[in-house]
Amino acid sequence: MAVRQGVDGVGGEADPVALAGGPPVSLRVDRISKSFYGVAAVDDVSVELHGGEIHGLLGENGAGKSTLCSMLVGLYRPDSGRIVLDGDEVHLRSPDDAAALGIGMVYQHFRLVESFTVAENIMLGRGTAGGRRARRAVEEQVDALASEYGLAVHPGAPVWQLSVGERQRVEILKQLSRGARVLILDEPTAVLAPHEADRLFDAVRLMVDKGHAVVLVSHKMQEILGHTDRVTVLRAGRHAGTGATASLTPAALNTMMFGNDLAGTDTTEGHTAQVPGEPVLTVSGLTVTGDHGRPAVDDVSLTVRRREIVGIAGVAGNGQRELHETIAGLRSPATGTVTTAALAYVPEDRLGTGLAPGLPIEHNLALRSFRREPHARRGVLRHRAMRETATALVDAFDVRGARDGMPVSFMSGGNLQKAILARELSEAHDVLVAAAPTRGLDIAAAEAVRRHLRSERDEGRGVLLFSEDLGEVLELSDRILVMFQGRLVGEFDRGSVDLDQVGLLMTGAAE
Amino acid sequence: MTSRLVVTPRAKPSMTVRAGVPFVALLVALGLGAVILGLTGAAPLTVYRTMFDASLNGARAIERTLTYATPLILTGLAAAVAFRMKAYNIGAEGQLFLGAIAASGLALQLPAGTPAVLMVGAMLLGGALAGALWAGFAAVPRAFLGTDEIITTLMLNFVALALMNYLIFGSFSFWRDPTRPVPQGNTIPDSAAMPVISGRLHVGFAIAVALAVLLWWVLRNTTFGFRVRTIGDSPRAARYAGIGVPFATLAVLAISGALAGVAGAIEVSGVTNRLDPKSLAIELGYTGIVIAAVARLNPLGVVPVAIFLAAIATAGGSMQSIGVRVEVVVMMQGLIFLSVTAGEFFVTNRIGLRPAGPPEPAVTAAAADALEGAS
Repeated sequence: MAVRQGVDGVGGEADPVALAGGPPVSLRVDRISKSFYGVAAVDDVSVELHGGEIHGLLGENGAGKSTLCSMLVGLYRPDSGRIVLDGDEVHLRSPDDAAALGIGMVYQHFRLVESFTVAENIMLGRGTAGGRRARRAVEEQVDALASEYGLAVHPGAPVWQLSVGERQRVEILKQLSRGARVLILDEPTAVLAPHEADRLFDAVRLMVDKGHAVVLVSHKMQEILGHTDRVTVLRAGRHAGTGATASLTPAALNTMMFGNDLAGTDTTEGHTAQVPGEPVLTVSGLTVTGDHGRPAVDDVSLTVRRREIVGIAGVAGNGQRELHETIAGLRSPATGTVTTAALAYVPEDRLGTGLAPGLPIEHNLALRSFRREPHARRGVLRHRAMRETATALVDAFDVRGARDGMPVSFMSGGNLQKAILARELSEAHDVLVAAAPTRGLDIAAAEAVRRHLRSERDEGRGVLLFSEDLGEVLELSDRILVMFQGRLVGEFDRGSVDLDQVGLLMTGAAE
Repeated sequence: MTSRLVVTPRAKPSMTVRAGVPFVALLVALGLGAVILGLTGAAPLTVYRTMFDASLNGARAIERTLTYATPLILTGLAAAVAFRMKAYNIGAEGQLFLGAIAASGLALQLPAGTPAVLMVGAMLLGGALAGALWAGFAAVPRAFLGTDEIITTLMLNFVALALMNYLIFGSFSFWRDPTRPVPQGNTIPDSAAMPVISGRLHVGFAIAVALAVLLWWVLRNTTFGFRVRTIGDSPRAARYAGIGVPFATLAVLAISGALAGVAGAIEVSGVTNRLDPKSLAIELGYTGIVIAAVARLNPLGVVPVAIFLAAIATAGGSMQSIGVRVEVVVMMQGLIFLSVTAGEFFVTNRIGLRPAGPPEPAVTAAAADALEGAS
């Protein structure tokens, strides 16, 4: 067992085996599978977790990490396969079942009641009555757990006063106080500043030294290499490999994560050489403050010219969203400038930003043109013209499932995306900014979207493509920029992409 | 084999369902009400007959109901237009008081010999402006600073009520009748009284209905209405489409306040004929919110719902006159209103039976939300 040295000498005092007096926990996932609508999200995956170790779970977006964890905490039921806890097969029907067996998860998006205190949040969901004495007892328990694990937080403080790092500690304490022996941390450092992340890992190390098993879900390779004992890599829902962290190199993990198949992608198909024209989008020295108050985009400069597709590769959450929202004018930059010719924008968030969900297709397709002829004259809408435009666009872009007067929220993701493209591309524009344009689409719809992006380029416009799908970025882009933690950390031309290097830059392992 | 109830939203409810469900709901309420009335010793059929006679049977009854419905239509519209854009103006109550103060003030100030058309026109305009101004105190901070308009509009109701009470009960103001020892508003000149359609029913009712149609048309057929509907559905989509959200917020809250102000002016001109806090402060503004909600924020829907509520209210008065206790009256009113409101669920959703099959994936909306953005 790869138990490492305790941190600050504290870990050495604890018995690394005993947890509530019993033997260390062991959780075995045996050939588990789960599909949604015929698409395998997790396909025949086996993993073993042991008390006393931090187990890294690494994979791209969509690799199946969240689905696997959701099965471990009883949110989803596996289609096939077994979950074996301490030698007994268990059937988890709800998160309560999992909690009762000592399996808990800390989600990326916290689930705390802001106006409640730390202790009240921890009592919540345990069914204990909220009397003063019960609260006192919980506060004492929280204090004891907090000092035992180095998770300093004041039990009487209301959650709204706490920093993000403190809130995360509350979530962990909540699981520990419910007796979690297997603790799953989903992207725990995504919201943390570096020094907070270090504190977190100190606490996690203490937990495993006391016999807990911790699963660290991440797509940051350095984090996995620096803090785990063993690591399992998922790729496209399948088990790509498991090994002791000490025996793995970044290059080996990279190959497991992205596979060798990317190297074989035929990047010339449907792609004719073009000479780029004048710039249509220039971003210089752009810094944008994110929702957590930290810079989400950090001094980014880029140019998109006519007749080229510029692809931004990167793992989600590295500032891409803030960047394209600022380019589209939905956020204001802290510093720096965006200069753009007529812009068409396909936002990440289809329902809610791209489309008004409760309104019908003819309304949504006119969102940009409702002020002008033929859709309006002297402030009065012309419904017939709007319907005619809608019919024409629905035909041209093969949008299916739209009915007169029906809210667009009833339509499928692929058709929503086609509707947004239809509206955006039918407006005069020189540059298209597309964010995750094929996410969640079936193969045919995704291919239709890609065809539109290519023809944009071939018709002499510029395209800035944001995608978490590295294969897609490689396939479509003339130039590839890699984004990591708000910065552009690499640039490659189509002909000279070093795949290993891109993968390492995306995961922050190349510095 | 067991079956399970399955609820699916209807994309577009048919006219039959829309019209049929409230009717069935009314019958259900009357059936349940009969049980309550029977238990309290009243004869249900006699009571229902009295209710019908008082609110709907004959010209006098209908005039009474429609007169009562007039301010409710306007406050219902005030709530509907604002809520349509998710600007929650719950200050129609206070905006109505301000409209009444302005209208009665103008009626007392202008020469008594002014032609009725000009006089009443000035009162309506003044009422609208005062209501819009009162809403503006909440609208400006909301539009530019993001202040919660629910709180500010609500608080301003109490300020407006206190102001109106002060003008009549707390001071010898211009609005108060100096000749009477008991505080009372000064009576407005005859030329300031709203012309009558028939009996007690005044032209204000026609104005309210016309404004409902106008508002419906504006929301449906103008670019301004397009903006309001887009912002109401998704402010982010609106900003993305280049719609100026602060300006639209100001405009909509001003319109909302103006409608409530007109309601106050019409009540002074058509019913109370003086600034009369006791007859104006009967929660017409708050009732408008309920009406707008039941009408699903559709201006055309506001008219029948307001009339329906007015009918229940006038019927309630008649029940007391035949000896039904006031508690039972309130219970009956609530029962009828609740049933019709609850019926909405069946209009927007389809209920069916499905044989028990494999269980759904145990994922809740909250859980799916938490996993969003991950794999």
